[in-house]
Amino acid sequence: MAEGEIVALEFSFSFLGGVDQSSGLLQGSGSVGIAGKVFAFTEGKGSTVGSYTMLEMKRRGTLPVAILNTIAEPIVTTGAVICRIPLVDSIDVSVLRNGDRAIVDGTRGAVEIEGVELKDVVTCILTNGDRFLIMKRSEKVGTFKGKWAGVSGFVEVGEEPIQTAVKEMSEEVNVTDARLLKKAAAILVRSGDIVWKLHPFLFAIDDVRVEIDWEHTDHRWILAENLREFDTVPGLDKVIRALLSA
Amino acid sequence: MFLTRDEETVLDGERGSGPQQAMELLVALGTVYDADRLIPITSAHLSGVSYKTIGKGGLSFLNDMASDARVQVRTTLNPAGMDLERWKDMGIQKEFADRQLEIIDCYDRLGVETTCTCTPYLAGNLPHIGESIAWAESSALSYVNSIVGARTNREGGPGALAASIVGKTPAYGLHLDSNRKATVVIEADIGSGILNYTLLGQVVGKKVANAIPYFRRIRPSQDEIKTLAAAMAASGAVAMFHIENMTPEAHAMDTAGLETIDIGIRDIASARDSLSTGSDPDLIALGCPHLSDVEIIELAAVLKGKRKKSDTEVWFCTSRAVRRRCAKEVAELERFGKVLCDTCMIVSPIEENHLCTATNSAKACTYLPTLCSQKVVCASTVELMGMIT
Repeated sequence: MAEGEIVALEFSFSFLGGVDQSSGLLQGSGSVGIAGKVFAFTEGKGSTVGSYTMLEMKRRGTLPVAILNTIAEPIVTTGAVICRIPLVDSIDVSVLRNGDRAIVDGTRGAVEIEGVELKDVVTCILTNGDRFLIMKRSEKVGTFKGKWAGVSGFVEVGEEPIQTAVKEMSEEVNVTDARLLKKAAAILVRSGDIVWKLHPFLFAIDDVRVEIDWEHTDHRWILAENLREFDTVPGLDKVIRALLSA
Repeated sequence: MFLTRDEETVLDGERGSGPQQAMELLVALGTVYDADRLIPITSAHLSGVSYKTIGKGGLSFLNDMASDARVQVRTTLNPAGMDLERWKDMGIQKEFADRQLEIIDCYDRLGVETTCTCTPYLAGNLPHIGESIAWAESSALSYVNSIVGARTNREGGPGALAASIVGKTPAYGLHLDSNRKATVVIEADIGSGILNYTLLGQVVGKKVANAIPYFRRIRPSQDEIKTLAAAMAASGAVAMFHIENMTPEAHAMDTAGLETIDIGIRDIASARDSLSTGSDPDLIALGCPHLSDVEIIELAAVLKGKRKKSDTEVWFCTSRAVRRRCAKEVAELERFGKVLCDTCMIVSPIEENHLCTATNSAKACTYLPTLCSQKVVCASTVELMGMIT
């Protein structure tokens, strides 16, 4: 078990050459230090000597207290083992923010971020031919007012995401006969103190006439390349890519 | 993970504390990577040798291990922080030299062959196809996985040491057929020459991270492959690759449906520009990875009859084994600079004497700014020779 402040890099990292052993400062960063921190990066790269670099940093008191990776590469794993610090993998580094306080349980392979909540939501993309439906959220909703989104809703306790999807489709656009084409793996998106766990669903309908409810004020059928013209809820582009790519 | 009774006794400390620590590390790695058992290895190669990189922490660790552990298989060693014979010529300080020699002594006591080269396959440690080994040194392990068809994971220095002490390694990763398959296709149109291949490696490593590239359209020489492997392992984490019609496992690869990345002259020119951060080098350094016999002979042929035009320091880094085999050509190169053994421009403390280094190795260009505080000139072999004659 270890806890500390997060330093997160959304790219790969080599301990040898990547950090100054005596100060714990990241090379090329000016003043970002990893001594005593929970150090997150996507995966190890570069030198196999990196495991020894970690050992030397431990001796000098500049080693991080824990490592979080998307993929645990053997050089980093070896260093974590000989230095006896926890390493947890399968972490989506993009949801971490520098300065978050994290509690890392290496035995359970779990990470808790203080003050940050995980919320499950579904995002349903309705397609008709090569176009899909986006809707502008009204001022009456709780979150992301005025942003463009798919059909979405919180996954309630006891509900499976697919059930939420069907319910929201009926409520938000009055569609009950859509064909489910695809369900993509969950996507994590950080926004402020919330990590949204988006469950993406792809549906097809034959009739473009939809009835939107109080939650939205406008709707459009667009092509994928037009998405960037709209101010969307966070992660909508990732959802589209996950659902519409071959 | 299943351990035999013999392996359990090592884990319990009955063979000594060094072997126990080694077994603990192997079991920890095996558990993380879901290995079901340990498998025997036929050789090991160790990184973590230079006092500059492993420091007092590494020396202390090795000293502990050497007190009661011995390697069980043929084990070779990576370059040290200095030429073990000519360190005074290099301007190395006595304090550094003493610590460095202590490190070499630890490895010696462990029973390691102190070959001090990143090209062990040119210094007598050449595995056979299909053999399971445990090699650290990112360039060499990638080379033997791909060109020879031997099997090793991308071991950290201590991991390879642990495996050599136990004589085994956990059965995961690249020891398994299913993990050796190509995962991305690279269509490369880049011409030939060491610089082009090293830059190709730089670009590929950065783009694919730890994927297994399958190269089409290239027909590199041994030395071009050597520098390609090194660059990909430094800018990325590539431990294995296939070259169509060249490498032993390439023919069995099914590349249908894999993403294809096109790389051309413009991409490598751009990589060269990014790596070059300086001008006016005060050190010209070749041999990352260590120069082969062929390279030493070719360089000597280029320099024959020429005169050195400036007094810029020049290093030709190679293994003692290659130096011995090319004594005549080495004498030619010594007219222009130092043919150094046991070390290289990255792991020796060149920052104490130099500000800007010119080299034809993308791997070196990656580490020179951060490990050696150098400005870098990334140039071809011909351009480097043009700087000294």
